Amino acid sequence: MSMNSSVIQQIPTSQIEFERAIKKQRVKNFSKGILFLSPSIVLFSVFLFYPLARTIYLSFYLTDATGVTTVFVGWQNYVTMFTSPIFLQSMKSTFLFVLYTVPITIIISLFLAVIANEKLKGIGFFRTIYSSTMGISVAAASVFWLYLFHPSIGPLNLLVKAFGANEIGWLTNPSWALLSISITTIWMNIGFTFLILLGGLQSIDSSLYESADIDGAGYFYQLRRITIPMLSPTLFFVVTVAIINAFQTFGQIDILTQGGPVNSTNLVVYSIYREAFVNYKFGSASAQAVLLFIVILLMTFLQFKFGERKVHYQ
Amino acid sequence: MKKILAIFMLGFVLFLAACGTDGDASDPKGEKTASADAESTSDQSENTDEKQVVTFWHSMGGAGQEALNAIVDSYNNSQDKVQVNAEYQGSYDEALTKFNSVAGTDSSPTIIQTFEIGTMSMINSGTILPIQELIDAEGYDMSGLEENIINYYSLDGTFYSMPFNSSTPVMYYNKDAFKAANLDPETPPETFEEVEEASQAIVKANPDMKGFALQAYGWLYEQLLANQGALLLNNDNGRTDTPTEIGWTEEEGKSIFEWVKRMVDDETFANYGTNGDNMVAGFLAGDVAMFLQSSASSREVIDNAPFEVGIAFLPHPEAKKREGVVIGGASLWMIDGKPEEETKAAWDFMKYLQTPEIQAEWHVGTGYFAINPAAYDEELVVEAHEEMPQLKVTVDQLQATTSSFATQGALMDMIPEGRKIIETALEMVYNGGEVDDAYRTAVEQFNTAIEQANAARGN
Repeated sequence: MSMNSSVIQQIPTSQIEFERAIKKQRVKNFSKGILFLSPSIVLFSVFLFYPLARTIYLSFYLTDATGVTTVFVGWQNYVTMFTSPIFLQSMKSTFLFVLYTVPITIIISLFLAVIANEKLKGIGFFRTIYSSTMGISVAAASVFWLYLFHPSIGPLNLLVKAFGANEIGWLTNPSWALLSISITTIWMNIGFTFLILLGGLQSIDSSLYESADIDGAGYFYQLRRITIPMLSPTLFFVVTVAIINAFQTFGQIDILTQGGPVNSTNLVVYSIYREAFVNYKFGSASAQAVLLFIVILLMTFLQFKFGERKVHYQ
Repeated sequence: MKKILAIFMLGFVLFLAACGTDGDASDPKGEKTASADAESTSDQSENTDEKQVVTFWHSMGGAGQEALNAIVDSYNNSQDKVQVNAEYQGSYDEALTKFNSVAGTDSSPTIIQTFEIGTMSMINSGTILPIQELIDAEGYDMSGLEENIINYYSLDGTFYSMPFNSSTPVMYYNKDAFKAANLDPETPPETFEEVEEASQAIVKANPDMKGFALQAYGWLYEQLLANQGALLLNNDNGRTDTPTEIGWTEEEGKSIFEWVKRMVDDETFANYGTNGDNMVAGFLAGDVAMFLQSSASSREVIDNAPFEVGIAFLPHPEAKKREGVVIGGASLWMIDGKPEEETKAAWDFMKYLQTPEIQAEWHVGTGYFAINPAAYDEELVVEAHEEMPQLKVTVDQLQATTSSFATQGALMDMIPEGRKIIETALEMVYNGGEVDDAYRTAVEQFNTAIEQANAARGN
C-alpha cells in the first residue's frame, strides 16, 4: 500500500520535473529566438511598426501645418474621404492604372524573355538592351518622356502630325493622360520584369526540353506545357511585385502631370503626398495611407489565396 | 562565411562611428570653427574672431539661383564678420515641408525664403521671429521700400518677414507674330475681349500658331481676379478677420472661365495644362503668340527667344476698370530661437539685400522687380531698361496698381489647396467641359477647404 502510494507520488514529481525542464528549454529557445530576431524586430519597429501606429493615430485627428494634432475628429477623416469625389476618382484611376500597366508589362517582358532565352550569337547584347530600363532612374525616365510628350515640339506629336492626324494632348487631355503615364510606366518596368523572368527561364532544367524534343513536341506545345508551368513561381512573384509597385507609383506622376489634368492621374500615393505636404492636412493624408495599406494587404492576401494554387513549385 | 560577416560588422561599426562624427560636425560650434579655418587660409586678417555663420535656405533655381549666389558672394566678400551659406532646398513647397520637419531644432536654418501664400502658415507656426522686433530695436527705416510691398507684407503695421524677391504676372507676346497678323506690336491687347480679337487675327494669319495660352495655375487666376478688383477670400481677403468663405462674386469668378471657354471654342487657345515650362517652350518655338506668366522669367524669355518679345500689362474684362496686381514672389523669414549673434548677422544680411545696388543687380539679372525703388535710379538699371524696355513694364504695372484689399492679396493657410482646386476647374474647361459645372464644383470645394482649414485650427 505504502509502496503503491509512493509510486503514485513518485510519478507526479518526476513528471513535474520533466515539464519544468521542457519549460526551461522552451524559455531558453524562445529567448534565443528573440535574440536572433531582435535586430530585425528593432529595425522593423523603428521604421515600420511605429510609423504605422503613428499613421493610424494621426488619421483620427486634424493637424496644423507642422503636423501637430489639434482636434480629435474620430472617423470624420474617413467619412470625408469616402464622400469626396476627388478621392473616389483617385481610387478609380489607381485601379485603372494597375489594370493598364501590370498585364501589359508582364506580357511584353515575358515575350522578350522567351526570345532572349534562345542560345544565339550575340544574345548578351539583346539581353543588356532589354533590361537596360532598369538602370534608368524614375526621374531621368520621366524627364525623357516629358520631352517626348511635349504638346508642340515633342517627337510623338510630330509623328502623329506626319501621319496627318490631329495633335494629341498626351499629358493635357484627361482621357489620354492616364494612358500616357501607363505607357511610361510600362516602359520603365519592362527592364526589371524582363530580368526576373529571364532568370526564371534560365533555371528551367534543359533535360525537360530534350525529352520533349525526343517525344516530338512542337515549340508552342513546349512553351505551354513546360515553360509556363515551370516559370509559374517567378511569374507569381513578378505579378505580386508589379501590382504593389503600381499601387505605389509616385515619381512619374510628380514629374509628368502633378496629378492633373482634372485629377485624372491623381493616383493614391500622389494624392496622399498632396494632402500631407501641399495642403498640410496630415489627418486626411494618414486616413488615405491607412486605406492604401488595407487595399494592398487585401490584394496580396487574395493573390496568395487564389493565385498560388496555380503555381507549380519544383 | 564567418569572415565575411565579421567584415560586415566592422564596416557597420565604422559607419556608425562616421555618423557620430558627422553629427558633431553639424553642431554649430564645429561649423563655425571649420569655416573659420577655411577662411583663415584665404585671408589672414588681424581679426581673430570667428566668422558668424548664417544658413540661408532658398528656392531659387536657374537664372535666379545664379543671381542670388552672386549676391551672397558679394556680401561675404564685402565684410569679414559674417559668412552666409546659401542652400537651395527645392521649390517653395518642398523647402517649407523640410523646414516644418526641422523647425525648433538645431538643424533649422537662420533665414528661410518662403512664398507669399505661406505667410499665414509661417506666422501661425510660432517658430519665427517677426522682423518688426529687429526694426524697432534698431529704429531701422523701412519706408524706403515700394509702397505695395509694404502693404502686402505688413499686417496691422507689423512686418513679419523681409520682402525680397517680388514679381507680378505680365503678358508676354510675340511681336513678330503681331506684325504678321497686321496688329500693332506696340499696342498689345489690354482687355479680355481684345486678347480674343488679337488671337483670332493671329490664327487667321498663321494657322500653325495659337493665339493665347493660360497656364492652369491658381496664382494667375488670383491675379486675374485682383485685376478686376475682386477679393479671393471674404473678410477683406482675410486681412480684417479669418476668412470663412470665398470673396469673389459669381460674375467676377466666372468671367475668367468664360473668357477662356470662348477662346477654346474659337480654337485660338493653346492648352499646356499645368506645365509652365512646356508653355514657355511652346512660345519660344512659335506655337503660341501670347501667354501670362510671372515677370520673374522675363530675362530668360527675352534672352532665349529668336524673335522680338513684348511684355504687357495683365488683361482685364472690358466691363471692369483695371485695379492692378497682387505682389507675388517670396520673402525672407528670421527663425526664432537662434543665438543673438547669429540673428544679428542674419539681420545685417537682410538689410544688405534691400540696398539699391543689390536690388538693381537682382532686378536686371532676373526680372523680379526691385523692392527698393531707389534701385531704378542706379546706372545698371537705367542702362538695362534702355536695352530691354520690357523689363520696365513690370515696374510700371506695379506702380499703376491701386492699393485696395483686392490688390493687397489674400492671407490664409489653405491657399495652396485652393489653387489646386482652381487649376482642376480650369483644366476641365480647357478640355471642353461646361463653365457652369466647373465653376460650381470649384466654388464648393474652395469653401469646403476654407471650412476644413478653420476646423483644423480648432475654431
